[in-house]
Amino acid sequence: MADPRSIAHEEHQATHHAHGMRYVVVWIVLLVLTVVTYAASRVHLPGGWHVAVALLIAIAKGALVALFFMHLWDQRGANRLIFVTSLAFVALLIGLTILDNATRFPLANPPGSAGALPWGGADRDPPKLP
Amino acid sequence: MSPSHASDVPVYNPRNYLNSPATGLKSWLLTQDHKRIGVMFLVAASVFFAVGGLFAMLIRIELLTPGPTIMDAMTYNRLFTLHGVVMIFLFMIPAIPSGFGNFLVPLMLGAKDVAFPKLNLLSFYLYMLGAVVALYGMVHGGADTGWTFYTPYSTTTVTKVVPILLGAFILGFSSILTGLNFIVTTHTMRAPGIGWNRVPLFVWSIYATSIIQILATPVLGMTLLLVAVENAFGWGIFDPARGGDPVLFQHFFWFYSHPAVYIMVLPAMAVISEVVCAFSRKNIFGYKAVAYSSLGIAFVGFFTWGHHLFVSGQSAFDAGVFGILSMFVGIFTAIKVFNWTATLYQGSIAFKTPFAYFVGFLFFLVFGGMTGVAVATVSLDVHWHDTYFVVAHFHFIMVGATVMAFLAALHYWFPKITGRMYPEGWGLVGAVMVILGFNFTFIPQFLLGNEGMPRRYFSYPERFWALNVASTAGASVLAMGLVIVLVYLLVALKWGPIAGPNPWHSRGYEWDTASPPLPENFEETPVYTRGPHEYDEESYANPPPVAPEPKHAS
Repeated sequence: MADPRSIAHEEHQATHHAHGMRYVVVWIVLLVLTVVTYAASRVHLPGGWHVAVALLIAIAKGALVALFFMHLWDQRGANRLIFVTSLAFVALLIGLTILDNATRFPLANPPGSAGALPWGGADRDPPKLP
Repeated sequence: MSPSHASDVPVYNPRNYLNSPATGLKSWLLTQDHKRIGVMFLVAASVFFAVGGLFAMLIRIELLTPGPTIMDAMTYNRLFTLHGVVMIFLFMIPAIPSGFGNFLVPLMLGAKDVAFPKLNLLSFYLYMLGAVVALYGMVHGGADTGWTFYTPYSTTTVTKVVPILLGAFILGFSSILTGLNFIVTTHTMRAPGIGWNRVPLFVWSIYATSIIQILATPVLGMTLLLVAVENAFGWGIFDPARGGDPVLFQHFFWFYSHPAVYIMVLPAMAVISEVVCAFSRKNIFGYKAVAYSSLGIAFVGFFTWGHHLFVSGQSAFDAGVFGILSMFVGIFTAIKVFNWTATLYQGSIAFKTPFAYFVGFLFFLVFGGMTGVAVATVSLDVHWHDTYFVVAHFHFIMVGATVMAFLAALHYWFPKITGRMYPEGWGLVGAVMVILGFNFTFIPQFLLGNEGMPRRYFSYPERFWALNVASTAGASVLAMGLVIVLVYLLVALKWGPIAGPNPWHSRGYEWDTASPPLPENFEETPVYTRGPHEYDEESYANPPPVAPEPKHAS
């Protein structure tokens, strides 16, 4: 059983040790990633890749905030496990939902989306009529 | 502390959480005592249960005849929406975890309170705020979307869905805060001697529920916000005319709402695990299997949401995957069912009211669960989808199981919460009426659904008439049973015989303190040298009179 006081104490210690430099570096990285997001939106990418790249950058930024600004980097055991678990469940939600779109009857996808017919979207051929 | 024996004269604990530190309204509204907050949740949830039940009766009266009976189609659509919203968000989700969970989890862990008492009170006020906002929406316009708020209908209907969505959004926060509190309490506040293998099974299930509440509820909030954003800014998220995908809403919605079914059923299983031990005077058969299967249900419950989308345009491949994954829930549920029934074997069974509800629970869980495996089969579900078969299925598994457990808990812990006993004879009468009434309400609906009667219509062809009359008759018996329960419990609050600290001779840790419990739960921090379900000692396996009638103190 963990004593709540000891957790608070450890957190206090951790905050104390973290030097201010770390926050500045993370902040600069976050700014750079924001610029990268903007730049990536100007680059020509096929199909739904714009969304994928933007999401990847957003996840990286979110992870930086959680790890350093929210002190997860300095935590141990259960708290890290909980964070990883939450990521796993987000992946589950997105994964099985995208699996649906990817394997769906193409006409059931909204026009213009990945997996839809006929304009834009993934490089998917319309079903051959007999 | 040694639990009392039947020979002891039952004592009403004079200094208890009900009268100290104060009795005024303010002392209740500003309390941080988990027991008072639990009681407030219980009272509020019971009121909403009655309101939702009233809506249900109006629906059943409307369906008494094939044509219009007492209302028009639009009123009917609003009524079944209100029935669903009130019963799910205001009664079933909070009733056992926030009500009994709040009252019992600290008592069962030998703790003085939950980890964050102020957060606990905030959770109650968020619940009330969410309820008021949702009820405001219901009174001013109502909604006709059903409790699932499917797009694109929910974004185009003329009825007022936004306040009800906002209410559900706020209620979600209440649910998250309660779950957070229980997880931290279970991890950090266990009394000396309560290792993980001595955590009462009630707490294990509530713990599993809390994990779902924290992981799934934010997705509901997110989804409802996306609907609001789509309305406000015209972004195409769910609206196909703007490039959105209405099926995406269903994915998001059920990612919360299917695990939410386990937010309702896992606490019911929590109650049943306690009741079955106490009334068969046996150790639980397979403690670890029962405890870990709760976590198993919580985990697998997240992999099944797509079975609600079998006929919504979801891909056939995804439907197959979800169908198979859904059946895994049956495995963990079966582990529990077999362990509970094995616990009964050679037990010294006391057929009291909570045990009667356990029997009802077992029937509804198994019957509802088996039909659940059936509707998880894609090819069968295409036939049954959106018929009364599904209505009957989820009322059996979700409502039947939860209501049975709620009533079992109400009777089992009534002496602990109030210090008084309910009348056992009336208790059994009520239980029989509720269980039979529930069966007579929903078994006809299984048959109706199988014959093809669709959900959510206020009229139907004449060939469905007889079974609808049977269903309404069953609902009337159920309602009368519940009224009887309400009346004798209210009478027992004031005039019931004094119960004493442990009228059931239960080994549960919560019975080691006085009834009603002290404001600080225990005089000194208890130290436990035994498990919470150990009936090995001769005096506990066969207490003097097997199931003593409590005596008046005077």
